Amino acid sequence: MSIILDHINYVYGGDTPLEVKALDDVCLQIPDGQFMGIIGHTGSGKSTLVQHLNGLLKATSGHIYFNGEDIYDKDYSMKKLRSKVGLVFQYPEYQLFEIDVLSDVCFGPKNLGLDKKEAELKAFDALRKVGLPMELYYQSPFELSGGQKRRVAIAGVLAMEPEVLILDEPTAGLDPKGRDEILHQIKQLQTETGMTILLVSHSMEDVAEYVDRIVVMNKGRVMYDDAPKKVFSNYKELEEIGLAAPQVTYILHELRSRGFDVDTGATTIEEAVATVQKALPWNKRVFYNTVQK
Amino acid sequence: MKIVRTEKLTYEYIRRDEEGNVEGITTAVDQVDLDVEQGEFIAILGHNGSGKSTLAKHINAILYPTEGTVWVDGMDTNNVSQVWNIRQTAGMVFQNPDNQIIGQVVEEDVGFGPENMGVPTREIWERVEESLKAVGMYEYRKHSPNKLSGGQKQRVSIAGVLAMHPKCIVLDEPTAMLDPQGRKEVIRAVRGLNQVEGITVILITHYMEEIIHAHRVFVMDGGKVAMEGTPREIFSQVEKLKNLRLDVPQVTLLAYELQQRGIALPDGILTTEELADALCRLAGRKE
Repeated sequence: MSIILDHINYVYGGDTPLEVKALDDVCLQIPDGQFMGIIGHTGSGKSTLVQHLNGLLKATSGHIYFNGEDIYDKDYSMKKLRSKVGLVFQYPEYQLFEIDVLSDVCFGPKNLGLDKKEAELKAFDALRKVGLPMELYYQSPFELSGGQKRRVAIAGVLAMEPEVLILDEPTAGLDPKGRDEILHQIKQLQTETGMTILLVSHSMEDVAEYVDRIVVMNKGRVMYDDAPKKVFSNYKELEEIGLAAPQVTYILHELRSRGFDVDTGATTIEEAVATVQKALPWNKRVFYNTVQK
Repeated sequence: MKIVRTEKLTYEYIRRDEEGNVEGITTAVDQVDLDVEQGEFIAILGHNGSGKSTLAKHINAILYPTEGTVWVDGMDTNNVSQVWNIRQTAGMVFQNPDNQIIGQVVEEDVGFGPENMGVPTREIWERVEESLKAVGMYEYRKHSPNKLSGGQKQRVSIAGVLAMHPKCIVLDEPTAMLDPQGRKEVIRAVRGLNQVEGITVILITHYMEEIIHAHRVFVMDGGKVAMEGTPREIFSQVEKLKNLRLDVPQVTLLAYELQQRGIALPDGILTTEELADALCRLAGRKE
């Protein structure tokens, strides 16, 4: 099943002089198991959009269908929706509060009405999935490093076993290795469990590396909705709305303008290495095996 | 003239359990010697928990050394009577712009610092004007800060520090919460302050591309300075940086990967221009 957004509008401060249209006729279909990236400059409506998906904000007009059911139906249970669509906010580590890691992660499943034992099982499972070392489970969450705290916070949402996981800038403020580790783990989650993942991000390099599809938001509207390569081929337009393409895209365009026959559609380092290597004259290409002796 | 100098700077946190008994001691900064000249652009890298923010907080006397000494423009930060002078000399900008803006109007926010210092009203307005112009936010002076983008807000925060006429600005991950455009705006403003106004800049960041113009880079690990050098010297050591949980700019990484495949490129390429030039030379093409 899937999530369908049907002509969603959301207006802040309606009927006042401060009226702002935060979402403007957004239509999206998100199939199961997709890893989707949402990008846009600050204030473009990304966070407003994802907060609709678990019912935190209610659209001014339009419909959202989750697994075929209209979530704005009178008898639709928002509680059920929120257990299925997990939302990890920006800087989720500020929401940690329990005395130890395990109790913190248990909070969600307990609230869904599970008993202590079941909740703990789910918490263990979730902590394992985010790759937190076992010896930290009974430590205070406040003694962990930034990256570890963030994993605990993500585990707190995963423990509710959602079908859809939404992450709002999960890597902001983390060091490069921490960024890679968390995104890698999320990707693994998606491939292993078939969970649908929505990643809101300001890092074009990260989005290019991991997602299957990118939605670009601008002024509350969906500006592009396509595969990463296609979206980043519009890098000039993206710059106009405060975004950019990954740095490699610029490098390849520069090389192309200097007469190298490179594929400017490459968005990751691996792809770029391959295409640059191919574009060099054959006698300058030294293949890996020969260097390794 | 040294604007910031630390000698064997050590800072220890005492960890306590719920009853307040000492559980252990964490050394966040460990015997750091740092010398920063007036007018330099310094970058500090390091993974989460490496001690870079703790170090930065010593520079404007938010934290005091457990051992060792910190001098800011010749003033010892342990000297309580100098605290206000030190904070005026070394201003600080933090990660989240929303936590640093207090005014209802941009120009009021920028005027807050000098007003607190007791600067005469007329001069406050002059300072507000020049600070906002320096970060390119003068046309927004009558706006409400909460209607600005992240990058704009962060530039207002920088203007607020600038209005206190510091000799040195310490920026602790000022771009972590910004979109690409906002990051560019902030870094451009910071470079301008350094090059045009001659203000010493100490920039802490996790974005490697932002520091390629720094004069010197310090890499922290476990509270110690693990590496020190120019951006080119630092980014030539890709493997070592990766072991310290860091990274290099994408263009440097691309050059490195090509090198690994035996393509004869020089070490430590920092810009797209340099990579394109090097590849042109290699392919026997005109640059």
